[in-house]
Amino acid sequence: MTTAIDTGSPSEPIIVITRIFDAARQLVWRAITDPKHVSQWYGGQGFTNPVCEMDVRPGGLWRHIMQAPNGAQFTINCVFVEVVEPERLVWRTVKDEKRQPAPPAAVHTITLEEYGKQTKWTLVARFDSLEDRDITARMGFGAMIGQGLERMAEYLKAL
Amino acid sequence: MLGYALNHLVNNLSVKYMPSDRLSSTLFALSDPTRRGILARLATGNATVGELAKPYDMSLAAVSKHLKVLETAGLISRGRESQWRPCHLEAAPLRDVFEWLEGYRRFWDRSLDSLADYLKVMQRRAPRK
Repeated sequence: MTTAIDTGSPSEPIIVITRIFDAARQLVWRAITDPKHVSQWYGGQGFTNPVCEMDVRPGGLWRHIMQAPNGAQFTINCVFVEVVEPERLVWRTVKDEKRQPAPPAAVHTITLEEYGKQTKWTLVARFDSLEDRDITARMGFGAMIGQGLERMAEYLKAL
Repeated sequence: MLGYALNHLVNNLSVKYMPSDRLSSTLFALSDPTRRGILARLATGNATVGELAKPYDMSLAAVSKHLKVLETAGLISRGRESQWRPCHLEAAPLRDVFEWLEGYRRFWDRSLDSLADYLKVMQRRAPRK
């Protein structure tokens, strides 16, 4: 797992997560777009997904409930924004106003690239609520999260 | 270790989820290498704008803009009493955002480990679909 630095200059904060899988792109695509498969891996070891319903098309809903090993359940509702088989899947988390404080809403973009017999996965998460910060408009800085943050964390440990 | 990671995730998913605007403003403030450099410098002690500007080839005004972003995000505070208004690192929001990021990263780390394993299962099944 690498948390890579984005070298572009978007004016939004983003997080980039990349991974190489030893599998064909079409297979990875099926694994991330078919709820029957998604519910098998989402959340990782020890987690289950009692609800996973995906209407994989632009505007389609992804209703999801994930259960942690301690039994706690988390509702995650998303809307698909873009579906380009087998290379790009974009969804937006729907802000749950009933939950306070509400989890940060984000647009997630998964890009799958063929790397020989392998597939490179890139997940870019873009977080909301910057548009209403005029400071952003005035200062269009590139957003980079990753190694820089890890270095900062080292500094913080020394505080 | 796993227990710790799980606690972390659960905390992050429930109580500790920051309001999105705060998370965004902190992430945004951290998105620039100059601002990260400034925070790193402040981690060693308070400093004035002039002291903070020294390592960079930029005007005091440009550095002040960066400081404004950091101040708005609550990452630094500035003295009111003195003319030089020394800057002070406010570590709490940084810790919050690191915790959140760690939780987020762990979530995907775990999920993608599981996905890698599951893809092997799918591959074994693939011939008969």
